[in-house]
Amino acid sequence: MSKVYVGMSGGVDSSLTAALLVEAGHDVTGVYMKNWTQDLPGMRCPWADDLADAKRVAVHLGIDFKVFDFEAEYKQKVVDYMIDEYKAGRTPNPDIMCNQEIKFKLFLETALEDGAELVATGHYAKTENGRLLKAQDENKDQTYFLYRVSEEALKKTLFPLGGYTKPQVREMAKERGLTTAAKKDSVGICFVGQIGMREFLSQYVTTEPGDIIDRQSGKVLGRHDGAIFYTLGQRHGLDVGGGLPYYVVGKDMEKNEVYVSTNLNDDSLWLKEIKLSSLHWVNSTPKDGVYRVRVRHRAPVVDCELRGDTLAFTEPQRAVTAGQSAVLYDGDVCLGGGIVVQ
Amino acid sequence: MTDQLFYLDHAAATPVDERVLAAMTPYFSQQFYNPSSPYAPAVQVRRDYENAKSRLAATFGAKGDDIVITAGATESINLALGSTDRHVVTSAIEHDAVLAAAKRHNHTLVAPTEKGIVRPEAVAAAITPDTGLVSVQLANNEIGTIQPIRDIATVVELERKRRLDAGNHDPIVFHCDASQGFGQIDVNVARLGVDMLTLNSGKMYGPKQVGLLWARPGVRLNPIIVGGGQERGLRSGTENVAGVIGFARAAELAHEHQKSESARLQELRGYMQAEFMNAFDQLVMSGHPKKHLPGSLHVSIPGLDAERIVFALEARGVLLATGSACAANKGTRSHVLTAIGMPDDVADGSLRITLGRLSDKATVEQATVIIVEEITRELQRTGRA
Repeated sequence: MSKVYVGMSGGVDSSLTAALLVEAGHDVTGVYMKNWTQDLPGMRCPWADDLADAKRVAVHLGIDFKVFDFEAEYKQKVVDYMIDEYKAGRTPNPDIMCNQEIKFKLFLETALEDGAELVATGHYAKTENGRLLKAQDENKDQTYFLYRVSEEALKKTLFPLGGYTKPQVREMAKERGLTTAAKKDSVGICFVGQIGMREFLSQYVTTEPGDIIDRQSGKVLGRHDGAIFYTLGQRHGLDVGGGLPYYVVGKDMEKNEVYVSTNLNDDSLWLKEIKLSSLHWVNSTPKDGVYRVRVRHRAPVVDCELRGDTLAFTEPQRAVTAGQSAVLYDGDVCLGGGIVVQ
Repeated sequence: MTDQLFYLDHAAATPVDERVLAAMTPYFSQQFYNPSSPYAPAVQVRRDYENAKSRLAATFGAKGDDIVITAGATESINLALGSTDRHVVTSAIEHDAVLAAAKRHNHTLVAPTEKGIVRPEAVAAAITPDTGLVSVQLANNEIGTIQPIRDIATVVELERKRRLDAGNHDPIVFHCDASQGFGQIDVNVARLGVDMLTLNSGKMYGPKQVGLLWARPGVRLNPIIVGGGQERGLRSGTENVAGVIGFARAAELAHEHQKSESARLQELRGYMQAEFMNAFDQLVMSGHPKKHLPGSLHVSIPGLDAERIVFALEARGVLLATGSACAANKGTRSHVLTAIGMPDDVADGSLRITLGRLSDKATVEQATVIIVEEITRELQRTGRA
């Protein structure tokens, strides 16, 4: 039995996590991390409802409940990073940064200072002696988001959901009378859904309209309202209607131009080899050799060869986007990875 | 959640009375006509509407011609405070609608006493030569204190006289937000001595999104919503006939049973208070020991996390509010509790209980047992009992 602080977001996963730890006999404290509270135009930030949902479950379980206020740090370490990346023309993954800087650093440190021996979250992943392992539910596996967590942090972390599937989690939450059992999963980035990214960025970045150019003909097909909003491989949201769908195949932030093509086989959409920066290995640096890699959350894991900071795919991969992460696996073990450089 | 519900939050919302609903129903379907249409069935609807307004106004000693029907108390308050562009005096414990509307003016907030009473002398001291409007609530929605409206009206009247004697014709009017209390205490514009009065149907077993502003003849209002010129041009938009029929019936019922309901609630509240005081030595009672709404009870236990109690009670079917409308961990405490000088640890441990028609002896007794059990359990859990 240990003193465990559980990050409770108000969702079903972290609710059940807390319940399972209580059942396992731990001395559990629920913690809501207050990271973001601002509304966006036309979009209410649900943080107060989420906090109430988390607290309601904590009361139901009869455990202590605390609120850790990380708003300033979250803005600085996650949001500012994300905005800077977008400004540089890349497509960052703020969830990975949030895990690295907030959940498995700041939350862990604050919890330990507050008397915790271990922390836990509702991530679908497993950990064993500081190693990071894929979840039982391959479909829900979240190790992609966790590859930048340190070995020391993993040694102090429990992932009680790693052995369950999502439907099992919902069923178990229901059996235990948790009020969040049927709550809808949050989608996209923790504080802003996929549809909200444009609105969100607009709050922080001034953008200029620019041309949308056909890569093959060089013709201007239409206008966009800021190259920052477009990402490689994107099909929707291009107002250049008619005929075959266009895909974003590149952009030039300096010229504020977005390049599109109807050619699904456009060279810039398919890469055979990528360079990685900001490498992070969970345990030790893996030897050069053949591994499996995931280049996007829920993308299939594919064969690759690691040579230093270069990754060669066995088969060319589509829309491998600068700013996203390539995460390497050796069987079920998540080794770590790096950020894609175009 | 259990099957039986114990609703102890009548200050937040009241269920529409069956008699009220029955009176309203025909006006959604058979009697759907636009009161402004020229043919006989519509003219009948017009008559029913005007008649309902008269009956409604009569419940607080006013004339139907002097009320403006709105979409609730917030709109009434906005209309009232929008009648002047000069200085406004109001209290620090008003509803957010009054505070937000006052912020649009040069304004002064009068601090209440520790017992939550707005003293007439304090209002007098806040009035300046530029003051165009004074707004004080009849009863507080959080701690239930009843304000000395009649005495504040006298203060305003004296200022008006003083100005007239000095040959100054700048008007000063007194608005009272009486959203809370109708049906529990006497509400009569003549006896209160006010110039404007706001009432809310949704707090008196009538439909929500219906309210009224009464203004005595001579008070000039500036319409917020313009259009077809309904409500004497002061609030355009096709009349909410069903809503007003319901509002009138609700007000009549509340008015008719006010004395007996008041006595009934007072007794239930007294029982609860005694039980709580008996169970918890550290209990803090807020508001005024006498000048409070008969159904309102505001209690605090220092150091208790009241929000936990609300969630624990909800699971057992007891529905009530934390005394601090927003929980401490959301960064904002109740402005009312802050204004009466309540320390944070007491405010965070506050519960607001507001009894009403859904409260009877049996349910109040059961609910009291459950509340005492849950608070005790929490105090034991945190090692405070």
